[in-house]
Amino acid sequence: MKANRLKTILGSARVWTVLVLAAWAVQVQAAATTLTVWHAYRGKEKAAFEKVVANYNKQAAAKGVEATTLAVPYDAYADKITAAVPRGKGPDVFIFAQDRLGGWVEGGSTVEPIGFFLDDKTRNQFLPSMLEAMTYRNTVYGLPLNYKSITLIYNKKLVKVPPKSSGELVKLAKSLTDAAAGRFGLAYAYNDYYYHAALQNAFGGRAFDPGPKPVLNAPQNIAAMKLLLKWIRQDAILPAEPSTALITSLFNDGKAAMVFSGPWFLGEVAPGLDYGLAPLPTIDEAGGKPMRPWLTIEGVYVAMSSRHKEAAYDLAKYLVSEEAGLVLAVEGRQLHTNKAVYTHKAVADDPVLSAFRKQLDTATPMPNFAEMTVMWSPATTAMNTIVRGAARPEVALEKAQRTVEKDVAALRKGR
Amino acid sequence: MKLRALLTQPATLGLLLAVASGVLLSEWFFAQAQDELLAERQERAVVMQAMALADQVAAVEAAAPDSSAPRLAALSRAWSARFSDIVAIRVVRSADAQFLASTDPRDVAPLPRQLAREEKPLYDLGQELRANVETNAAEGVFRKKQIDVARLDRTRLRVAVPYAVGGQVLGFVQVEQRVAAPALPPATGRVAVAIAAPIALFLLAAAAAWRRGRTAPPGRPWAQFGVALLLLGAALYGEARDGLAELGARHERFAVELAQQYTAAKREFESATQALAVKAVTDNRWDVDDYQRPRAIIGADGSVDRIALADELGARATRVTRGLWGNAALSVLVLGFVAFGYARRLRLTLVEHKIAYRYVAPAILGMLVLVFFPFIYGVTLSFTDTTLFNENLPLRELWVGLKNYIVILGDFQVIRGTEGGWVVNYQNFYWTLFITIAWTVCNVTIGVSLGLLLALALNTKGLRFTNVYRVLLILPWAIPNYITALTWRGMFHKQYGVINQVIQMFGGEPVSWFDGVFTSFLTGIATNGWLSFPFMMVITLGGLQSIPQDAYEAARVEGASRWQQFRHITLPYLRPTLIPAIIISVVWTFNMFNIIYLVSGGEPAGSNEILITQAYKIAFEKYQYGYAAAYSVVIFMILLVYGVFQNRVTRATEAIA
Repeated sequence: MKANRLKTILGSARVWTVLVLAAWAVQVQAAATTLTVWHAYRGKEKAAFEKVVANYNKQAAAKGVEATTLAVPYDAYADKITAAVPRGKGPDVFIFAQDRLGGWVEGGSTVEPIGFFLDDKTRNQFLPSMLEAMTYRNTVYGLPLNYKSITLIYNKKLVKVPPKSSGELVKLAKSLTDAAAGRFGLAYAYNDYYYHAALQNAFGGRAFDPGPKPVLNAPQNIAAMKLLLKWIRQDAILPAEPSTALITSLFNDGKAAMVFSGPWFLGEVAPGLDYGLAPLPTIDEAGGKPMRPWLTIEGVYVAMSSRHKEAAYDLAKYLVSEEAGLVLAVEGRQLHTNKAVYTHKAVADDPVLSAFRKQLDTATPMPNFAEMTVMWSPATTAMNTIVRGAARPEVALEKAQRTVEKDVAALRKGR
Repeated sequence: MKLRALLTQPATLGLLLAVASGVLLSEWFFAQAQDELLAERQERAVVMQAMALADQVAAVEAAAPDSSAPRLAALSRAWSARFSDIVAIRVVRSADAQFLASTDPRDVAPLPRQLAREEKPLYDLGQELRANVETNAAEGVFRKKQIDVARLDRTRLRVAVPYAVGGQVLGFVQVEQRVAAPALPPATGRVAVAIAAPIALFLLAAAAAWRRGRTAPPGRPWAQFGVALLLLGAALYGEARDGLAELGARHERFAVELAQQYTAAKREFESATQALAVKAVTDNRWDVDDYQRPRAIIGADGSVDRIALADELGARATRVTRGLWGNAALSVLVLGFVAFGYARRLRLTLVEHKIAYRYVAPAILGMLVLVFFPFIYGVTLSFTDTTLFNENLPLRELWVGLKNYIVILGDFQVIRGTEGGWVVNYQNFYWTLFITIAWTVCNVTIGVSLGLLLALALNTKGLRFTNVYRVLLILPWAIPNYITALTWRGMFHKQYGVINQVIQMFGGEPVSWFDGVFTSFLTGIATNGWLSFPFMMVITLGGLQSIPQDAYEAARVEGASRWQQFRHITLPYLRPTLIPAIIISVVWTFNMFNIIYLVSGGEPAGSNEILITQAYKIAFEKYQYGYAAAYSVVIFMILLVYGVFQNRVTRATEAIA
């Protein structure tokens, strides 16, 4: 009996040792580098992105690197990054627009500077001003992935030839406007500073001077406001209280002939509505200079808490390469930042992609300072006050300037 | 057992605890201060040498950038030889990722060469220092550290100082040095005396009073407390004086040592100056703080400026004394708590109800972690100046006391007279408070009235389809208010909104709802009224069910009218149900963020903001976390006062007689 029991115990001990050793061996082999990528894409973009990452995994399997993606809902995305990465719980790579970059760099311990890995070949593969958006205080923090800006979207049934100058725009819009019937020639969210920036930049206006120093009350900004008021009051080509929901429904009902909006608008256009895209017109009042919309550039960042920074950079480099860019552009309908992508027929012949590429020639990246966030609320208040006629542009902008200066100074306390 | 009785008096125990905690805590404060002093002295020593070296490196680089490496190597070797404490010197030109010189044998030779992949931290450090110098210059404030100090262990420091050529920061010099860490003599003797002496004196005094027949223990608590307080004060004062004297002596000694070190560095610098074209040193620009601002304590000739030294010691001492005052307050509290018998009462309660306490313990723990800790953190934050830019600094450095509260509550400039008429400052706290109170009062009135009316209507005997009506009337509450708020916002649109179209149908003029302060206010009231009546209706319905029917029968028999029945039977019976519901509704409506943010957005020009949306904007759009925390604490105080007051005045939770 005893011998039997001993044998059973020994036998099982042997079996267990073998099992444990095997498991350990398997684990050692499978202990490849796993990279986590966070993004906030949905639908087609998400599918295209996951396809690109799968391609990367095929190539990187030889090095033992595997990347997994996680789609985070957009509302909570920025806060999740801000909370998770400094505590070491975040991803290795994440994709985000450049507007939060300044805030993250000032807060510290979120974004890893990657200037060290950047070689000239990578630097030169991007369209102009893309890398600039990823740079804060002359340090490069991410690789630009795609860009978005607003452009002129028009209903082909109502508008045969898109206007090239503001004079043509006003003439055309007036002929298509019947305010009593609720029809307008032009509709865009003109009380949103982001959209208004296109008009303001044409005059040479800006929110911040290098420093960054707020200059909301610059004379060029006031001139841009005056032009906007002319469009609303004298020319009466714009609807009142424009919200994005209103603009979309007006355009879809055929009640708005032209719209200034970006790629996000195209997904909401009613099927069957024949629309065209054209670059934003030039502004006669600004000496024929073109409207220069702000670019929102999404970048691929390496998280500071990542344990495999070089592998993460490798993945980032792949995502902005020509191969990945083609998939993202054609299938994900993204406007990729790699110059080479636009030489492919599939992209060059696409009306939407080529239209936004043309708009890029006159677009400018939105500033990525941390101080930008304190600018939005006073600027929006000023816009609403001016548009409603409750205050003159000079007065409202002066008030906004004082508020922003005060808030920026409150942020920058010296030691 | 006289001695035993003496020893177990609450006052004795209290004095023991208070003195022990007070003395030990003040020792801890002084230990912290001494550690800080030592750390600073060590840093300053290394920073001085690194700054001198950086000057020379800048000169070499400026003279011949392409062939600077051999001269830099020679320079580093000379410094290492002259100062035996130096472990390693590295020179990195991060502008083009070049590793120029190093005396550390672990760095792969031959130098100069490109930085290797694993040396990325050196490149990043150089870029960070350059960016910080440029930021401070561009913004005109010193808020980013221009010198990087890393402590490797108690006796080794690594300091990186940027060097600039032609006004541009090109790279940095990193010096790793061993520093002395002299230990302080232990203060056990002082601590023992400070704790034992007051106890002994107190016991003697108590015994003397007892012998003279004045009081038998436990005796008069206030007198004992007074004597104990005096002795506690004396002990803590003695501790403080001793500690400060020790701090001052060490401070002076360190200053003298640093002056000597400066002289040595200057001599080494001058001996190499002939080979390099560097300006002679006329002022001490090497003894700097982390922002490369000269401390101005040691002069260029190695003399110590006594006045500046005394100022610095004064600043340090003030910081410690602030802690000591807090400590003293804590000790007095402990003394009072024990001496007046509260501690004993607490102990007896815990023992008597220990089973109950065990049941409640998990809830207490949960509340502590989930409610009290965040609350206390918020309150602490409100006394600081935390913003996005400085949130990784310790709270101690950002302390501003009551400044945030004074700015919020002391700003009385609500209305100004200008040429255009009266102008209201909509960001002012008192305007926002006025709007919030008006908002709350209107909404609760409407909600309660509507809810009461509908509940009475639904409660009619013999009404058919009550279930259907009830479901329909609950819908506004059931649908997420985020969606309904946006829908209502659309309905108030000037041209396309339903409400204006209905008004036009009846021949009126369309109203620009969001253009006027009052009309914008009405939009919120309408939306929130629609959202809040179901809650009141449900509560009232429940309350109505519990009214005894024979009261109505008796009233009918007596000939009371319907209105009289309502006033004298229904309302009093509803009071215990309605009043708590009203208190809840007031608190919810006071903080109703969604409706204000989504429907009117505070339009026009921020005039319809309520306190909570203001706090949100301050925290998440202006990133001023400390100020927003103060705002939230003010909101909390208002609601607390209201809740306590309302409960007292209406004796709401008491049942009907």
